[in-house]
Amino acid sequence: MTKRLLALTVNGRMREDAVAANLLLLDYLRGTAGLTGTKQGCDGGECGACTVLIDGQPRLACITLAAACEGRVVETIESLAIEGRMSRLQQAFHEKLGTQCGFCTPGMIMAAEALLRRNPRPTDADIREALSGNLCRCTGYVKIIESVHAAAGG
Amino acid sequence: MNDVSRATAGGPARDAPAIAQGRTAGQRTPLIDGVEKVTGRARYTADLPTGETLVGRILRSPIAHGVIRRIDAAAARSIPGVRAVITGEDFAAPYGVIPIARNEWPLARGKVRHRGEPVAAVAAIDEASVEAALAAIVLDIEPLPAYFSAAAARAANAVQLHENKPGNIEREVDQAFGDVDAGFAAADLVRERTFHYAEVAHGQIELNAAVATYEPERDRLTTHSVTQVPYYLHLTLARCLGMDSSQIRVVKPFVGGGFGHRVEPLNFELVTAALARAAGGTVKTELSREDGFLTHRGRPETDIRLKLGMKKSGAITAVDCEIVQRGGAYGGYGLVTILYAGALLHALYKVPAVRYRGYRVYTNTPPCGAMRGHGAVDARHAFESLLDIMAGELGLDPFAARRANLIVPPYRTLNDLQVNSYGIPDCLDWVERASGWKTRRGKLPRGRGLGLACSHYVSGSAKPVHWSGEPHAVINLKLDFDGGITILTGAADIGQGSSTLLAQVVAEVLSVPLARIRVIAADSALTPKDNGSYSSRVSFMVGNAAIRAAQEMKRVLVTAAAKRLEVHPEDIEWNGDHCRVAGTDRTLDFAGAVDAALVDTGTLTVKGSWSTPPETQGGKFRGAAVGSTAGFSYAAQVVEVVVDEDTGAVAVERVWVAHDCGFAINPLAVEGQVQGAVWMGMGQALSEETQYHEGLPLRPNMLDYRVPTIVESPPIEVKLVESRDPLGPFGAKEASEGALHSFAPALANAICDAIGIRLTDLPASPDRVLEAIQARKRRERLRASIGVSAQPDPERH
Amino acid sequence: MERMPQFDLRRPASIAEAAALLAAEPGARLLAGGTDLLPKMRRGIERPPVLVDLGAVRDISRIDYADAGLALGAGVTLSQLAMDGRIVHHHRAIAEAARSVAGPGHRSAATIGGNLCLDTRCVFYNQSEWWRATNHYCLKLGGDVCHVAPQGSHCHAAFCGDLAPALLVLGASVELCASRGARVIPLSDLYRDDGVAHLTLEPDEVLVRVLVPARSPALVSGYRKARARGAIDFPLAGVACAVVARNGVLAELKVALTGTNSRPILLTGTEALVGRVIDEATLSALGKLVQKQASPMRTTVTQSNYRRQVAAALAQRLVCELAGYEPSAARASMS
Ligand SMILES: Cc1cc2nc3c(=O)[nH]c(=O)nc-3n(C[C@H](O)[C@H](O)[C@H](O)COP(=O)(O)OP(=O)(O)OC[C@H]3O[C@@H](n4cnc5c(N)ncnc54)[C@H](O)[C@@H]3O)c2cc1C
Ligand code: SF4
Ligand code: FES
Ligand code: FES
Repeated sequence: MTKRLLALTVNGRMREDAVAANLLLLDYLRGTAGLTGTKQGCDGGECGACTVLIDGQPRLACITLAAACEGRVVETIESLAIEGRMSRLQQAFHEKLGTQCGFCTPGMIMAAEALLRRNPRPTDADIREALSGNLCRCTGYVKIIESVHAAAGG
Repeated sequence: MNDVSRATAGGPARDAPAIAQGRTAGQRTPLIDGVEKVTGRARYTADLPTGETLVGRILRSPIAHGVIRRIDAAAARSIPGVRAVITGEDFAAPYGVIPIARNEWPLARGKVRHRGEPVAAVAAIDEASVEAALAAIVLDIEPLPAYFSAAAARAANAVQLHENKPGNIEREVDQAFGDVDAGFAAADLVRERTFHYAEVAHGQIELNAAVATYEPERDRLTTHSVTQVPYYLHLTLARCLGMDSSQIRVVKPFVGGGFGHRVEPLNFELVTAALARAAGGTVKTELSREDGFLTHRGRPETDIRLKLGMKKSGAITAVDCEIVQRGGAYGGYGLVTILYAGALLHALYKVPAVRYRGYRVYTNTPPCGAMRGHGAVDARHAFESLLDIMAGELGLDPFAARRANLIVPPYRTLNDLQVNSYGIPDCLDWVERASGWKTRRGKLPRGRGLGLACSHYVSGSAKPVHWSGEPHAVINLKLDFDGGITILTGAADIGQGSSTLLAQVVAEVLSVPLARIRVIAADSALTPKDNGSYSSRVSFMVGNAAIRAAQEMKRVLVTAAAKRLEVHPEDIEWNGDHCRVAGTDRTLDFAGAVDAALVDTGTLTVKGSWSTPPETQGGKFRGAAVGSTAGFSYAAQVVEVVVDEDTGAVAVERVWVAHDCGFAINPLAVEGQVQGAVWMGMGQALSEETQYHEGLPLRPNMLDYRVPTIVESPPIEVKLVESRDPLGPFGAKEASEGALHSFAPALANAICDAIGIRLTDLPASPDRVLEAIQARKRRERLRASIGVSAQPDPERH
Repeated sequence: MERMPQFDLRRPASIAEAAALLAAEPGARLLAGGTDLLPKMRRGIERPPVLVDLGAVRDISRIDYADAGLALGAGVTLSQLAMDGRIVHHHRAIAEAARSVAGPGHRSAATIGGNLCLDTRCVFYNQSEWWRATNHYCLKLGGDVCHVAPQGSHCHAAFCGDLAPALLVLGASVELCASRGARVIPLSDLYRDDGVAHLTLEPDEVLVRVLVPARSPALVSGYRKARARGAIDFPLAGVACAVVARNGVLAELKVALTGTNSRPILLTGTEALVGRVIDEATLSALGKLVQKQASPMRTTVTQSNYRRQVAAALAQRLVCELAGYEPSAARASMS
């Protein structure tokens, strides 16, 4: 199958890659770009583990075509720590145990990141709504909510 | 909101290394591998860089039960890009986690016994070739009658799934302790109920994956996998591949949860290794979510008939219980599950007489196995539900009914389980107070209710499945010129935080900062064998081994420091960072002590090991080992619900849970484990269930297998009760399973409090709840029409 | 899991170009947010040779207000809808329906067009290729029996989009565009009662806009959805209502359902309730209407009878809420 040239920004860096039309953004990130922080937890669109930001919006990389991201800005979990400093969300998820096995964590943090950019002081209900598409099997979510509050400075 | 009571609630603290206020142990400590997890740097099996790698894939049986006449792979082999095609014939032996029930082949041989059972596998250079090859394999399977329920499989003329198992009974248990008839005769009230539980699955978020590399030049195999128990996998690889175990290396990378799914060696791990050997290279197999449900090993569909005798005081006089589990197609952990159900049924309380009959049944559905709370969850629901029903009839408060049956440690249960610490009284007191039970219960508006239940669980099974006479746990500590202490452990951290706990324990004993410690876990080439992460054994057993190893290292360091300072070891005050000659200002810093210790010997390696004392290893009857443990954890919880009587929807508003973990080495992590356990109990209680259509799973995805979302997940307030178990490391016990069991019965009790309806089936999904509400309306209408005065439902109290 | 099937991807810049591509390439499919189509392609349910991605088409993501009403571009996302202040205020049912779809990661991609043109769903259909093959496929795709109603020759897969009922009670119409020309039809005419071919849309037509006529300011609307979990799940039953109530009397009533039939349905017979006082008898009549017209079959893992009953309960409750009526506790709602 023919490939097309895809130009986009990933984690602040412009990239150009030849991709097949049927390549999913998830496989592009994990395979082509080597960014394995974004996880896969289901057979398509059901768990939120693959949540990344596209133009600042939370999106599911496992049901997004890479080729449809032409010209877009994609951000993954690897973009959050800057110069060796974890972001506030990362710090909070670490310190408050918002992560246990860690597998849902990248998606969870990216969904929370989208929330905090839009709403720096979320309520419990705001947090539940923003993370409602992200399943976690370990934490019971209690400490995830605490982590997001902590990151928001509350 | 969460706190720890450091009062002792159990027996005297004999022999346990006493720590008053730990520097490290007892402190809220973030995970030592948490940074990797929150930054995305943590590499799970599917993330590993593997170089040139073949794609592995499994072909599954479309037939639920049948004789394999032929598997023709010739066409598949000739497809360009295909490097290996294997079938059951490529394995040397069958497997199964229990040595006496090894009846499963990594790829079916002779017969298939459930839809989705692996029958062949392919390794090829890319996905397209793999798919072409799978499509080219011809299966010729002659169907046999198939059974999808325990009842159908037990029917008189049912065809046997396994030759040596007549009646399709994998294991029948018949146990009686004490005089059961006399117990019922002495009761003021005897009640019997039946209960039904849907099958549930682990649903860990990480998909299954394995990577195997075979080096033909050396006949060596390296496997990276998502396993909870690398050691079983190692043994099973050797067995099924017919390899010498010294030629195999098993590594566990980061693992995204297990909950029991990954305790047994699983077919895809063995298949990936066999493919790698057949292809002479590296093979990576990534499974789908659907594959996960077909691999299964979840909690079986269960029917329970339970009868209790009770005095007016609430004291239980006798228990009679029958449990039937639909076990699925293969043995797996099955016989342990059916034994656990009986062993833990009554041992939570002081019970004078018990009869238990259990039947584990083979069916043509994916095999069940161990799942968090192994064996005891459904039975706990039945027991705590019936306790509430009877308390209601006797006019007793649910708390009073539990308090009438408490144990005083040290105590030996009827079935020879040893209880050395017992925090239930404190757990009950706390949840009663925190939930406002006394002032609120009975006064809530209709539709809102409170329910209570208790539970317990083992801190590691006292007899490992593979009994070899070795210690239960071994830890190595390494210290070299750099002053770094490396913990080498086979214990698999699967997210529960075991590596962090071990680091804390070692840091505590050596009085060194956590930063000085590194943990290398679960790489068979480096780390000592460990029995694995199951039955909540790691904190207790490996924790104890770690204490001993650290004590030994401390002894070596103190001796060396004494020699360097030219005093007796008893004169050394050890303080980690530096040590001092008592009563003087002569000191030696840690680096100096290390230098001194390395003289003549070089790199220091010490070992610590631990075994459960014989008196905790259970009695002498058949099956006695199951349930035996060096220490039981305990929990009590109150659940508050709101039931919508128009839609049947049940909302859990709040949970108060008190968990007796002996001693919280890491209160932060223990809270997290308890919350996770309670919440997983909630999933089973409210919305999770598998379902089959002629043996095909109808819900093999995360949309229809309804793991709760954050929206309907309640605040869970945790109280850690510390009963200081005499055998536990610093008094610690299990913390990640015991609180699961009491959620479902507390919920059922709360629903009954809210709307007066007793649900005896799980999950309490809205359709079931609404059906029960309407059944009551029908009963009431019927009663009204035949002129019986409308009485309140007897359940409501 | 299957690999994604292969296809050609086209990214037209205009609707005209998109329509031309559809006309030229038989079997081509439109791709909007992809949150329905791509999971289905991953399961091998759809294998279109050509995908026409609407992502680069300009001007289909606008929300326009005019005196005549509201015009929603087909590319407007569900998160846009859920957050648009005026929609939240004046067309509450739309915002509530949009907010109830899946999760935030879906809603920021999912579009109105995709939601209205959503495929019907069935537990025997939304499964992997291996699963469906093992189960010998079914009427809707590749087979010749229906596992839900094996005697019949009809597919009962359920339409489960949340937006359609909200738009139906507001009297919306849709603008469809093909190379041949454009047409505007009432939204209810977009659907037919056939689980296999529930859309009347021609293969070369693109849904371009949704038009919601201006209504009396007294009209209030809402959407309620029954599901097992608080998010992600499709509706077991979804109910939209639009109500004008004056002094406890129904002056206008529209009720629509989703999740229960192969098409979203605008309840017939609600006119008979107009002019009646909202009381137990009226609610009970409403409940009967819903129970009669909802015809859920065993296409979900949840019992069909429950879906029917809960649809009625939600309709009654929503009408009460919208009309400000406090039902008595003793209501024999779902007999
Ligand atoms: C886990 C999960 C949960 C979900 N839950 C819900 C839910 O609760 N409620 C719900 O309603 N949906 C749900 N969905 C389905 C889906 O996310 C939404 O319906 C969404 O609105 C579909 O829009 P889309 O733009 O992503 O459609 P796409 O997937 O891009 O397209 C869907 C269909 O519409 C066609 N189409 C798209 N745009 C047009 C157009 N302009 N003209 C003509 N045809 C067009 C496509 O060809 C395709 O056949 C869920 C999906 C998943 C994966
Ligand atoms: S209703 Fe019948 S024909 Fe339609 S998708 Fe379901 S099983 Fe197939
Ligand atoms: S991997 Fe599950 S939603 Fe994307
Ligand atoms: S931390 Fe394990 S799935 Fe969330």
